[in-house]
Amino acid sequence: MKRFYLPLILLLILVLEGVALELLPESLLKTDLLIASHWVFVFLIFIAVFYDNDRTHFSVLYALIFGLLIDMVYTDLLGVYMFSYACTIYLIYGLKKLLHGNILVVALLGVVGLVVSDMLIYLIYTVVGITDTAWSDYFTSRLLPTVGSNLVFLLLLYPFFAKKLTDWGKDQITKGNTF
Amino acid sequence: MSFLRKKRLFILLIGFILLVVLIGFSLRDREELTIIEEIVNDTVGLAQGIIHAPINVVTDITGNIGDFKDTYKENRLLKEKLAEYKGLIYEAQELKEENDELRNNLELTEKDSMRNYKSIQATVISRSPERWLEQITINKGKNDGIKKNMAVITAEGMVGKVMTPSENSATVQLLTGFDQFNRISGKINRKGDNIVGMIEGYDKESKHLIFRIIEESKKDIKKDELIVSSGMGGVFPAELHIGKVQEVVPDKYGLTKTALVKPSADMYEINQVIVVDRAVQTDANPESEEEEGE
Repeated sequence: MKRFYLPLILLLILVLEGVALELLPESLLKTDLLIASHWVFVFLIFIAVFYDNDRTHFSVLYALIFGLLIDMVYTDLLGVYMFSYACTIYLIYGLKKLLHGNILVVALLGVVGLVVSDMLIYLIYTVVGITDTAWSDYFTSRLLPTVGSNLVFLLLLYPFFAKKLTDWGKDQITKGNTF
Repeated sequence: MSFLRKKRLFILLIGFILLVVLIGFSLRDREELTIIEEIVNDTVGLAQGIIHAPINVVTDITGNIGDFKDTYKENRLLKEKLAEYKGLIYEAQELKEENDELRNNLELTEKDSMRNYKSIQATVISRSPERWLEQITINKGKNDGIKKNMAVITAEGMVGKVMTPSENSATVQLLTGFDQFNRISGKINRKGDNIVGMIEGYDKESKHLIFRIIEESKKDIKKDELIVSSGMGGVFPAELHIGKVQEVVPDKYGLTKTALVKPSADMYEINQVIVVDRAVQTDANPESEEEEGE
């Protein structure tokens, strides 16, 4: 039963992302700041750091699946989020082996991950021609606010999920299912 | 170790090829979504509908508190306006009757008017978190008669058009996300001859729609003149409010004039929308997007 918790939580977060913008005050939406929510990605970081052990790659698998779902539901341009999320989560997965998982490390990995994934998305969208924002504009009006707001979300989630995911991760070792 | 490196490189390459294939597939000018996309969209749409209800209540309450503050002032203003409107209603009724009579004389039915449309009520259930795309999702789809390229309006004016309908939900492209591929043929109503032109997309820097005037007319366009859809594009009905002129500037070559238009509808606070199905059908290729431009 427990193995269904993660996809269910991810699906709930995916759905919530669609109403995320309505929770922001209108005055913030009408400015030049383009805040994009990467909540699914933030939760994937938690999975990579706390749930996965050396032999499992659940975070990368979920990054592929839910990246594709985001593409389908919110952008109609397939593959962009899937590729960016999966690549970045794989990078995080590699980095977490070097560092011990406490709140500072998770925040640091979160910032690195958000910067890399959002820049990958920007890069692909620029190549495809969806956006023609100049690099300096992108940096101030999208990258900084996006990383900032998602970091807040990450810090809010930390107390709820850090310990729980570690426990779930240990459970799967005892049962011995690997991917 | 070297084998492991090679394996990683291999996976990355496959991923990259997959990315290019998927993007190529979705950028292709496709008429319909794949069945998988439709199922996913509908399922997520269903969940969004459920989650959206309590959130709506919260935002409504905060909105109401703000409204209370202005109620008194507004009320006085509205009473004055109401008196004016009473006169207008009689006038409009008379004109309508006269119009009907004249139409009867010409043996035109109401159906033939490009103004006429069927409307489908819908609720907004989500907004794409990807801000560059400016898309919203509504809770009505093909089952309710929604088709690609239908206009979407609110009480204030036009907000966008249906981009990809699924069975029970549909994605709407907002006016703020329009580019040169999504043109609207528009006009400014004048006595005698109208000024016609085309909305050629949204300028993100100045935050205005760009209205290029096709025929160079002698008359100057003034600020605050209303731009409405002309119905000549073959997809949208006529007389949908688009926006008000803010500024008129000559274009790059000095041959035509361009008006910067502020959309009438609020693109950020959209809850209820009406999807508009034009009654007069142009049989010749009604789905084509180019037609909207010509």
